[in-house]
Amino acid sequence: MALTQKKKRKIQNIASGYLFICPVLLGILIFTYYPAVSSFIYSFQSYDGFSKFEWVGLQNFVNLFTRDMETGTVFANTFLYTVITVPLGLFLGYLLALAANMKLKGISFFRVLFYLPCMIPSVASGVLWRDLLDPDFGIMYQIFSFFGLHPTFFTSASTAMATLIWTTTWGCGGGMVLWLAAFKNIGPELYESARLDGANTFQCVTRITIPMSTPIIFYNLVTGIIGSLQVSTTLVMAGSTGGRGPDNSLYFVAVKIYNDAFVRMGQMGYACAFGWVLFVIIGALTFVTFKTNKWVEYGENHG
Amino acid sequence: MAEMTLRQERREARRAAKRAPKHKLTPRKLAARILQYLVLALIALYLIFPYIFMLNRSFMYPADIMTLPVKFFPPKLTLDGWVKMFEQNNYLLYTFNTLKIVCFNMIAVPLSASVCAYGFTKIRFPGRDFVFSATLATIMIPGAVTQVPLYIMFSRLGWVNGALCMTIPALFGGGAVTIFLFMQFMRGISFELENAAKIDGANVFQRYALITMPLCWPIILYTVISTFSGGWSDFYGPLVYLKSREQYTLALVIYYDSINTNVAMEVANVRMAAGVFMSLPPLILFFLYQKNLIEGIQVGAIKG
Repeated sequence: MALTQKKKRKIQNIASGYLFICPVLLGILIFTYYPAVSSFIYSFQSYDGFSKFEWVGLQNFVNLFTRDMETGTVFANTFLYTVITVPLGLFLGYLLALAANMKLKGISFFRVLFYLPCMIPSVASGVLWRDLLDPDFGIMYQIFSFFGLHPTFFTSASTAMATLIWTTTWGCGGGMVLWLAAFKNIGPELYESARLDGANTFQCVTRITIPMSTPIIFYNLVTGIIGSLQVSTTLVMAGSTGGRGPDNSLYFVAVKIYNDAFVRMGQMGYACAFGWVLFVIIGALTFVTFKTNKWVEYGENHG
Repeated sequence: MAEMTLRQERREARRAAKRAPKHKLTPRKLAARILQYLVLALIALYLIFPYIFMLNRSFMYPADIMTLPVKFFPPKLTLDGWVKMFEQNNYLLYTFNTLKIVCFNMIAVPLSASVCAYGFTKIRFPGRDFVFSATLATIMIPGAVTQVPLYIMFSRLGWVNGALCMTIPALFGGGAVTIFLFMQFMRGISFELENAAKIDGANVFQRYALITMPLCWPIILYTVISTFSGGWSDFYGPLVYLKSREQYTLALVIYYDSINTNVAMEVANVRMAAGVFMSLPPLILFFLYQKNLIEGIQVGAIKG
């Protein structure tokens, strides 16, 4: 009798458990895993522009790596952008967090102001930046020429990428928030005893702050790499060139996939192949980051 | 040993400092304080000035915008840009289109994410950990991989060029990250409460709705706000799925109007008014709930 009741409760648990998780179970199957598998299959097919896919074997991948002149450009641009913006965001976020961590009256007001650019929708800030950097009536030209500089910003291929990276620095409040959380986790007694042992500020930063913040740095690194490899903000920033920038200087992988899939409608199979190549690169980079995370220190074995 | 006494001395000194009157600022300290505020103000000015510029320009006459040198402050204030945005460009319609999607998701995401998180944390059943790992793994798969098959699926269902592409998926779990945040929160709620309710005869639905959910309000609030600002700002989804102008969301119409040579949007005051209008709701929510929002981001980063 007792056993059957126990069994009954177990069955009840299984039923109610699956009932509760069925939204996400169905969700990942319908909206992630099924599309991922079909995308893999499509990447070996060519799309006729209407509704039929035809089997072409590895042709898409061969075209991608050998024939498509844009492949090299978009990967070079995307990697350059990633390699610069991820560490730069970490570094500027750290400096900003140092400023925002001062014990002053009204400091939380400044923190809000520092974070504010992160809350502006990307389309709004894209439109704003195009106005600020407008070649005819943009205020940035005026400010720079006041200092005797005559930059070309988005109008020339040689400065477009640098300009784009410069505009991303307005988002360093996002990094600041994470650094502030890391600072909060470090007890003040660590610094006090280090000071007593004769450590200077630089040593305090390199021996206490940075080692104790490695989980945050690691998180930032992983999400930053994944995020910036998929960045498509240039669709707005360089909207008049279809997100390519002058001479394709701002053409990123995600924008190219969008163009192949939805602008040139006959390229859907090819776009899937491109998506899978991007996925493999992201996966490999994440794997390498996780494999080399010996420098990340979890727990409080430092005190 | 020597260190101990040193520490004690320091502690004593600190206590003494606490007892002493606080507002005794030496000139040197005062100068340092002023310098600190100056640094903060300069950084803030640098980070904020583009947005002040956008606000100013949205209230300027077209004639004052198309001048050199560029004017930072409006010589004369006007609502010209704002009126044109709503009258000629019909932005109320696109605002309504956006709100339709966003309001649905603001309810659907926390509801379905909390239901799933409850199943993952409070009920024990075989296969649970496997499904959870499969859910977390979806974070790894970039949108670039799934977007073409999703588009084909939605177009076969006849959903393309409508809001359904961006609302129906929200009913299915609300995303792995949201579920994960809910789970972190629910793990903090003691099992004793759950067990007491069980003994009192509450079934699993009552325990979810009446015991767990009321305790989850901070994470519900966070999810509602972040779903709002995410959906309100979403540009890529509408870009892929919406085809005809009367279906456009605000983000999409601002984008198309700013790259096409549309009559009214060619003038910067209309563009800037649209930018300010679009930035207002997320900013207001941020000012109201900044603590909750920033903590949510930090928790996600540290525990994730």
